[in-house]
Amino acid sequence: MSRPAASGIGPVATRIYAVASNTFREAVRDKVLYSILFFAAILLLASLGMREVALGDRDKVVRGVGLGGISVIGAIIAVFLGVGLVWKEIERKTIYTLASKPLPRWQILLGKYLGLWITLAVEVAILTGLYTVIIGYQQGMPWAGVYLSMAMLMLELTLVTAFATLFSTFASPTSASAYTLCVYVIGHFADDLYRFGQASDDAGFRALTMGLYRIVPNLGMFNVRTEAVHHVVVPGSEVLWATAYALGYTTVVLGIAMMVFERRDFK
Amino acid sequence: MSSAIRTERLSKTYYSGFFRFKYPALIDLDLDVPEGSSFGFVGPNGAGKTTTIKTLMGLQRPTGGGAWIHGVPIADPSSRLRVGFLPERPYFYEHLSAAEFLDFYARLGDVPAAERSGRIQKLLDRVDLARFRDVPLGKFSKGMLQRAGLAQALVADPDLLVLDEPMSGLDPIGRALVRDLIIEERDAGKTVFFSSHILADIEAICDRVAMVVGGKLRGQGRVSELLSGAVESVELTLRKGEKVERRRVAPGLSDAAIASAQSEGYSVVSVHPQSKSLEQLLLDEVERAKPVVTKHLGVLN
Repeated sequence: MSRPAASGIGPVATRIYAVASNTFREAVRDKVLYSILFFAAILLLASLGMREVALGDRDKVVRGVGLGGISVIGAIIAVFLGVGLVWKEIERKTIYTLASKPLPRWQILLGKYLGLWITLAVEVAILTGLYTVIIGYQQGMPWAGVYLSMAMLMLELTLVTAFATLFSTFASPTSASAYTLCVYVIGHFADDLYRFGQASDDAGFRALTMGLYRIVPNLGMFNVRTEAVHHVVVPGSEVLWATAYALGYTTVVLGIAMMVFERRDFK
Repeated sequence: MSSAIRTERLSKTYYSGFFRFKYPALIDLDLDVPEGSSFGFVGPNGAGKTTTIKTLMGLQRPTGGGAWIHGVPIADPSSRLRVGFLPERPYFYEHLSAAEFLDFYARLGDVPAAERSGRIQKLLDRVDLARFRDVPLGKFSKGMLQRAGLAQALVADPDLLVLDEPMSGLDPIGRALVRDLIIEERDAGKTVFFSSHILADIEAICDRVAMVVGGKLRGQGRVSELLSGAVESVELTLRKGEKVERRRVAPGLSDAAIASAQSEGYSVVSVHPQSKSLEQLLLDEVERAKPVVTKHLGVLN
């Protein structure tokens, strides 16, 4: 017998880290990611030009377009990488050697999710750095609230990526993209759903919209970009609540993803 | 002797299509692979070899029965802690270099950090890929990938190697390399369980064999035992003076043939039962199982 079974937090962390770093490495060696980043850089540079055509407070328009651009590109990369996260392993049959190793499947999924999350964090950090340089050149150092808005964007992407990962465990990338996009769009209109229901006289309809409002992720709460642009301070309690919400919701979605992944047969 | 792999009535049924037609791929398989044996798992294509291996490796859940690796139920991932596995037609991460690829699996196999780089270098030398350690797998030929895959299976120094068709699609040099590796592991006291439909390889390497046809086990045991139960004829070598003569008779008639030869004045030099080859044995089993196979296909159609 060569070795006893390894247990404890050390080997578990090593395995999850191995899967995460492999996922990160795969993403950063994918040329498509660089194309998207290049496109984002062009978009940020182009936002400078908005100053010439915008009405009102031109500096604010430039800041708003820049931050909005980063959030959209972040979501595109989250969906693009997230929906193939598990599917690609199955399609390319690399899952055979991965899932046959002595690690439970939830560790594989968590590792892959964390690898994707790190990729997104690096990407948002690069774009925020670029934003700082561009805005700094034109308007002076950005206000601290800008960095808070980017941290809140990461909370949003934490949740969106969890959904993409969940859909990736059972659906093809095309279907998973559609599902994730639906969640993204509905999530951004969650507050409207609530207001829409409240405006109705029908009690049944109100109950239905309230039920939906409670189930769908409220992605609007992570958007503090307007506050960042207008230099409005976001209360600490709001940030704390958003953090708890993102982490709690992500845990539930990833838990479901792990259950689905656990039950899958790899033919 | 304890078992490296043991299955009891292991079954796997697939369901396909909207009406969920049943296709039993594996039926009540009782397998016993003793520790330290080199075990060949043979059968025609579609017999259930890969289904068995995937089930043992935790890639599919059995629909009936149970299986244990080193006494640990296969539902527990730690049952695969001392196991190296090479899937059929391996597919690997193309973005990784050979060294990164082995490092990844070494981490997943709980190889201590201090041992990793030394072991990886040794394995790359052993499978003749040391020159390509920093080349991405995407640029590897099929034979090189198979060798990288074998190194991957060996990286955690397993006690049990499970190889699914390790020689299929390889050129003669690649096959010889794989064969030598299996023999080395066998001689080092490791258990080697591998499937193949190339019976010459099985006969050359294995001391034990199990035969599966139509999802059912058709026999298992030592190769010599299996073949001795399949005596096709008996060859008598007879001598009268300077004259030597060989006669071949049916197994049940050897006593009568000896008596008859002796009455003709011959002395009996030797009596040799002539066994079927493993290939003939397998073909006979396929022939015998035909109604079962046809029935399964009928359900699918």
